[in-house]
Amino acid sequence: MEKKLALPFKKGNKSFKEFGVLMVLLGIVVVLSIVTPSFLRPQNIINVIRQMTEIGVMAIGMTMVIICAEIDLSVGSIYGATAMIAALMIKSGISPTLAFIVSLCIGALIGFVNGFLSTKAKMPAFIVTLGTMQIFRSIAYAVSGGKSIGAFSQESQASWVFGIGGNIGPIPLQIIIMIILYIVTYVVMKKTRVGFNIYATGGNKRAASLAGIDTDRMKIISFVSMGILSAFAGMISIAYLKSVPTTAGSGREMDVIAAVILGGTSMNGGRGSILGTFIGATIMAVVRNGMVLLSVPAFWQSGFIGIIIIVAVLMDTWITQRKSVR
Amino acid sequence: MDYIISFENITKKFGGTTALSGVSFNIKRGEVHCLCGENGAGKSTLMNICAGVIQPTSGVIRINGQETKITGVSHSEKLGFSIVHQEVPLCLNMSIAHNIFLGSSKSTKGIFLDEKFMEKETEILLKEFKLNRRPSDLVGDLSIAEQSIVQIAKAVYFKPKILILDEPTAALTNDQREVMFDIIKKLKKEIGTTIIYISHRLEEIMEIGDTITVLRDGQFVKTVSVADITVDELVSLMVGRELSNEHAVSYKTGERLLKVNNLTRKGEFENVSFELNKGEILGLGGFVGAGRSEVLMSIFGFNKPDSGEIFIEDKPVNIKSPADAIKQGLALIPENRRDDALIEPMTIMQNAQMVILKDLIKGVLIDKKLSNDKMDEMVNKYKIKANNVNLPILTLSGGNQQKVIIARWISNNPKILLCDEPTRGIDVGAKAEVYSILRSIAKEGIGIIVVSSELPELLALSDRILVMHEGRITGQMMREEATEEKFMRLAAAVG
Repeated sequence: MEKKLALPFKKGNKSFKEFGVLMVLLGIVVVLSIVTPSFLRPQNIINVIRQMTEIGVMAIGMTMVIICAEIDLSVGSIYGATAMIAALMIKSGISPTLAFIVSLCIGALIGFVNGFLSTKAKMPAFIVTLGTMQIFRSIAYAVSGGKSIGAFSQESQASWVFGIGGNIGPIPLQIIIMIILYIVTYVVMKKTRVGFNIYATGGNKRAASLAGIDTDRMKIISFVSMGILSAFAGMISIAYLKSVPTTAGSGREMDVIAAVILGGTSMNGGRGSILGTFIGATIMAVVRNGMVLLSVPAFWQSGFIGIIIIVAVLMDTWITQRKSVR
Repeated sequence: MDYIISFENITKKFGGTTALSGVSFNIKRGEVHCLCGENGAGKSTLMNICAGVIQPTSGVIRINGQETKITGVSHSEKLGFSIVHQEVPLCLNMSIAHNIFLGSSKSTKGIFLDEKFMEKETEILLKEFKLNRRPSDLVGDLSIAEQSIVQIAKAVYFKPKILILDEPTAALTNDQREVMFDIIKKLKKEIGTTIIYISHRLEEIMEIGDTITVLRDGQFVKTVSVADITVDELVSLMVGRELSNEHAVSYKTGERLLKVNNLTRKGEFENVSFELNKGEILGLGGFVGAGRSEVLMSIFGFNKPDSGEIFIEDKPVNIKSPADAIKQGLALIPENRRDDALIEPMTIMQNAQMVILKDLIKGVLIDKKLSNDKMDEMVNKYKIKANNVNLPILTLSGGNQQKVIIARWISNNPKILLCDEPTRGIDVGAKAEVYSILRSIAKEGIGIIVVSSELPELLALSDRILVMHEGRITGQMMREEATEEKFMRLAAAVG
């Protein structure tokens, strides 16, 4: 009997699941570097990656939620509301460190509410998070009175919290933080019991539960991570922009979901990867940047993103199917 | 003779297995013709052929003397067949009236729905069936028994030439059953409908039937008139075959492992009590729907029982979830492998190791070497035939999938193993391997409960067999005294 024993969490020996979407990314990069030579300039590359950090960070949590076979529509509102609350606290002289902690705690709490209602109260996550999306958007408007909050005191801006928006040498710190978050989550999802149980929950909830996995807990963990990461993305934006517009994060949930889906994570749950999501988020950022470089009119930009999503997922399905036939 | 249907040499093969082999018999016009046989005798296959769901591999069906190929479901309906299946295919979100007229052209007047007509007709129908419901009530709000009455009413309303009832009384109360029998008799008398009646309840067959055809292992045994046969003779016709009572060694010890006391879950099972000793294999038999799987699911904490106690090693335990059950040393190999055991997007190795994952962790990370070694051991011990354990679980055959699930649980060293239909859908070779695995762990002192619909399987494995009927334990047999006849009597709760 032939036995090839490889790592438990490695993809099958020959199949590399992210292959399809990686090819899509490389294709777009090649085309862009031919039509606009400025695309490959180091400064532009750094810029592209910096612009993807907020979506990229939120997409990590969204990958966990979607692998659990759930969805979270409230992430843009969590981002907006927590950023707004933190900004108001800093503005009123409270220490940025405390504001940072409070913001992440509120994010975690909202995530817990989303998770609790979607599991213990047996409501569909789509509806729960549609509700919390509206609620926290409203809260962001109400607490800010409809105004942008910014112009923080010099003293506050000296805090390490604002340092997140700065650079280490030529590299923005937020890029480094994002990459660390990706590596940590990659390890958690592929090499720990929690990650394993999250995949099992999304793969077959009934079977996972009969194997002794607390599937509700796995879902709540994913929603809470999602909430914390959304709040953290909000803090990145305060640190970088030094102000929070009242509409912060509005519509962001769709970009985040798009990045995860582009990365090959299945809406049915149980299939997907953090690496794929990273590639998906990169595709979104590269396409946005390319359109700016090519001076595509702003009105057409989101339409173009829509086309990319459909074509990329189509190509990915096509490539994976062909590979599995062989 | 005036035969409405004649089966001539009907054979149906699914791949390598033969479900029906050269079955020939006739059904007279206007009679109630009962089909009897154990699970797997071929009754459902024959009825699916009549329904046009499947076509026979060979053989001829004559309807009204004419050779007819039933090509599909709509063709079967055109020929006058109406079939009431065991599982109720109704739209739960719609009213009774709308369900009765679902798919019928009678429901409209011009382009609009004719609500008044549907309500009026349904009301008459419900009265006839003595169902105290309004035509506008949602089917989803009805009990299972009421739903099955609606389904029968729907079939009766369109006055079929041939009505096939597959276990129609499974969910009904005695009163409802009587009402249904009255309607069957009326149909027969007033419009001359021919009725093919399938039931496990032999006393019922004796009451309503005119003629009985017995099938066994896909073969025709006999057609007899109800007047000429007794329940005893019927049972021995159904069973027929020699017992393959492989004399297995018993590893049963005197030490009590599990005690279940008056376990009840409403609508599923009532006052189930039994004991299991170390090393004992306890069979749990009965017909499909007798509540056997439900008992296992409740012991395992998946569905909470309404009342009753469970003791493990004489200590009372409160099992609230499968996770609790696992902590108490239980393991469950479920009946429905695809829905309840396999995680399809995961690999063979991941599926095998999900329960013992906690033992494969060093620090917080899963230890590669440890899990590879463990997988090696599992593959060898349970003879899992896999080229690459990192391929998806569905690349394996049914038998090997089952061995992965068995490996998943036994490697967690349970005290008690619950197996629900452990050899369903697997080939003969794998079946023998599963038996030998179960015997070997019984030898190690694990207590095993096996639910099976196949008596030979229960006889081959169990030291003792409990039989259930409609949620109650109707009796028990030691291996030595177990006969198929005795089993059938207990399972059908006759005599």
